[in-house]
Amino acid sequence: MKAKTKTKALDTFREAAETIVNPELQKWIDQGGKVMGYFCCYAPEEIITAAGTVPFRVRATGSTSTELADAYLTNINCTFCRHAFNMGLEGKYNFLEGVVWLNNCDHIRRIYDNWRRKVGTPLVHMMSLPKLTADKQVGWWREELAIFKGALEKHLGITITDDKLREAMKTHNKTRRLLKQLYELRQKPNPPITGADTLAVVIASTAMPREQFNKMLAELLDELKGAEGIKDYKYRLMLVSSILDDPKYVKIIEDLGGLVVADSMCFGSRMFWEDVDEKAKDPLDALARYYIQVKPACPRMFGGFPQRSKYIMDLVKEFKVDGIIGLRMVFCDLWAGELYMQEKDWQKANIPVLHIDREYLVAGTIGQARTRVQAFLESIGGRR
Amino acid sequence: MTTMTGRSMNDKCLRQLIEERDMLGMMVEAFTKTSTGVDLHYVPTKAFVDHHNELLRRYLSGEPFITSYFCCAPEIYTAMDLPWNTFLTPAFTGAIKPTFHDDIDASGKMFTGMDLCTIIRLAGYYVEEDMVPPPTAVIAMIHPCDGINVVHQVMAKNEKWSKIPVFGADPPYWEDERSYNYYADELKKMVEFLQKHTKISLDMKRLREVIKESNKQITLWQDYNELRRAVPCPHGGAMGLEFFGEAMTVHTGMPMGTAWMRDVVADAESLVRQKKGAVPKERIRLFWFDILSLGLTLELFPWLEQEWGAVVAMEMFGYSPYTQIDTSTEDSMFRGMAVRALHEVPMIRQARGVADLFLTDIERVVKDWKIDCVVYPGYMGHKDGSGSAGLMREKCREMGVPFLYIGMDLFDNRYTTLDQLKDKFSKFFTSMGLG
Repeated sequence: MKAKTKTKALDTFREAAETIVNPELQKWIDQGGKVMGYFCCYAPEEIITAAGTVPFRVRATGSTSTELADAYLTNINCTFCRHAFNMGLEGKYNFLEGVVWLNNCDHIRRIYDNWRRKVGTPLVHMMSLPKLTADKQVGWWREELAIFKGALEKHLGITITDDKLREAMKTHNKTRRLLKQLYELRQKPNPPITGADTLAVVIASTAMPREQFNKMLAELLDELKGAEGIKDYKYRLMLVSSILDDPKYVKIIEDLGGLVVADSMCFGSRMFWEDVDEKAKDPLDALARYYIQVKPACPRMFGGFPQRSKYIMDLVKEFKVDGIIGLRMVFCDLWAGELYMQEKDWQKANIPVLHIDREYLVAGTIGQARTRVQAFLESIGGRR
Repeated sequence: MTTMTGRSMNDKCLRQLIEERDMLGMMVEAFTKTSTGVDLHYVPTKAFVDHHNELLRRYLSGEPFITSYFCCAPEIYTAMDLPWNTFLTPAFTGAIKPTFHDDIDASGKMFTGMDLCTIIRLAGYYVEEDMVPPPTAVIAMIHPCDGINVVHQVMAKNEKWSKIPVFGADPPYWEDERSYNYYADELKKMVEFLQKHTKISLDMKRLREVIKESNKQITLWQDYNELRRAVPCPHGGAMGLEFFGEAMTVHTGMPMGTAWMRDVVADAESLVRQKKGAVPKERIRLFWFDILSLGLTLELFPWLEQEWGAVVAMEMFGYSPYTQIDTSTEDSMFRGMAVRALHEVPMIRQARGVADLFLTDIERVVKDWKIDCVVYPGYMGHKDGSGSAGLMREKCREMGVPFLYIGMDLFDNRYTTLDQLKDKFSKFFTSMGLG
């Protein structure tokens, strides 16, 4: 199954998902533009944009080995981290002016410790993300945002004014709204775009100059709104996962007849389902509140399970999902617990569930994934 | 017999606690019978038995007790006369439980994977299987690792436990004044929560007394560690763990614990004067840089001592970089407890924030305790520690001290068996020219 489009936008997005430095980003770099890396969707992209730099979410696309990273990390560290750090050691992230981390998980926060010692990125910055979501934590996170803003200003020799922050908030909200529109198209009985292509679009949103991305996504949306839509699928599926940044993995599922129409992923809906309050008096306040209290939360936020569960259940209804595939990176403790709890709720709601533990690279796991998804789709059929 | 609260000693949730108490009780019996004088292990082990009995009594009578941890300001619990239980304990004492492997396997099936930290898996399993007495309230530990955060969320979702009020203090990532003040405020909120749900008030005068006593314990602990610098080292690694157990768990800020510590210090001092070591012919001084389980102290450490003359001269939980808490004002006490809880208690100190403390602790301990080799066990649950393994290795290389990374499960002795451990150590010692 494949979306039929005439604009170049989708091809550009697919290319962005398949590469690290895509042509649009390369153009920006060639023009003297700076790029700031980040590892997690809690990173305040708006501040990076307000600094006149392009936010780029670090992936390990194209990596084939962890040979260099394994001198520092071990075989119980998640393979995304090992591959990403390996690419850092190989110099493939030398185009970054800086990288910002948060203490989002045990694996990624240690990449910071190793990266700052072993990869010569000019600016490395760590932020302390709260684990609770009350007003006190909004206050703490606001301070962390201000510290990060100060670090960027000092490093780049610039001033990030409130007006620049507001402008960046508008740009990023526009991305969020456009992506949400794209997702809403998938609620149709015949969605005009596959889950694999949707993932490519979402990835591209984290890898391209944002204004350019918004323009191209608007063009794509115009075309998709009138498109015929995909009919040759058996079931409508939802993916619930931490990092999944390879559309090929989704394609495996879709080639077997399961169309991915929704997700709760950090390269997915959790990135953009809600907006930042553009009208707030203090832009940093607005950003702090958005990341701590408004944005759909990651399992590392303590006490938010009921909201996370509701978020998924609402999507299941809105997108008429037939079954959920829960994906976990091997060695991820956060998602081991999260999926254990979520799966209980899904089973209680009589939603067919498939749990797959996966490695970062799709190669080598294709056979297993194909067999399990095939059996899962058959089991959904058997229930009807 | 069923009590007025409708609870009984036959309740399923008590079985494991009773079993553990009885096993520890047998060890206490053995200490008193075999020792020529007062066995130094007697008091800490007996303290655990008494603690278990008190938990049982409170459960049956309906009097308050809580679930909490050593890193959540236990001084406050002592001051409130509030015993606390942790559902992690059965993993540490699992070596004495006949069905321990069955529990591990069942917990692995429950969480769909054996790569999740064994302590976390077991803790979740015991709650889900109603093998832990439900407390009056839970002080959740949501740092230093992902697993501990997750298991408290699993606990809060459990049907029986979902009715129990939960409080988690939010841990900042840094070690600075801003973070300490933030966390001190979290501890004050914790006190409000405890007072509300246990109906016990915290008397600040009492808290001051407890902290003063705890400060004495910290001083004795540091005196003790000074004595462990001696060559030969007077005691092995198990005693350091027991010191931690007394100071930060069962006897925090209690004179009984302080008295025991004085005995241990006196014993160590006497041995140092006589130039007697824990190992008759000490050849290797080892720094075990991770947590310890009862299984290791009962099986591996005695073998290291007997076969290689290798003494654990320092270990993560015995190391005590603590500072005295200023008891002059309420704020200074809370600030001091925040510093202790965030920056000084073992494992939290190294694993919660940036990896630097793994490295500075290695540097300090290697120099001060005349360490011949550093062992990082690479416990399969400690993903953040393993993410620092390369940096630890480099630090050791820089200091010219051999470093061993094992890759093991500290609790499941089938993951890396005792024979495999012995083989690894033998090859390591031989190739490094130690022993």
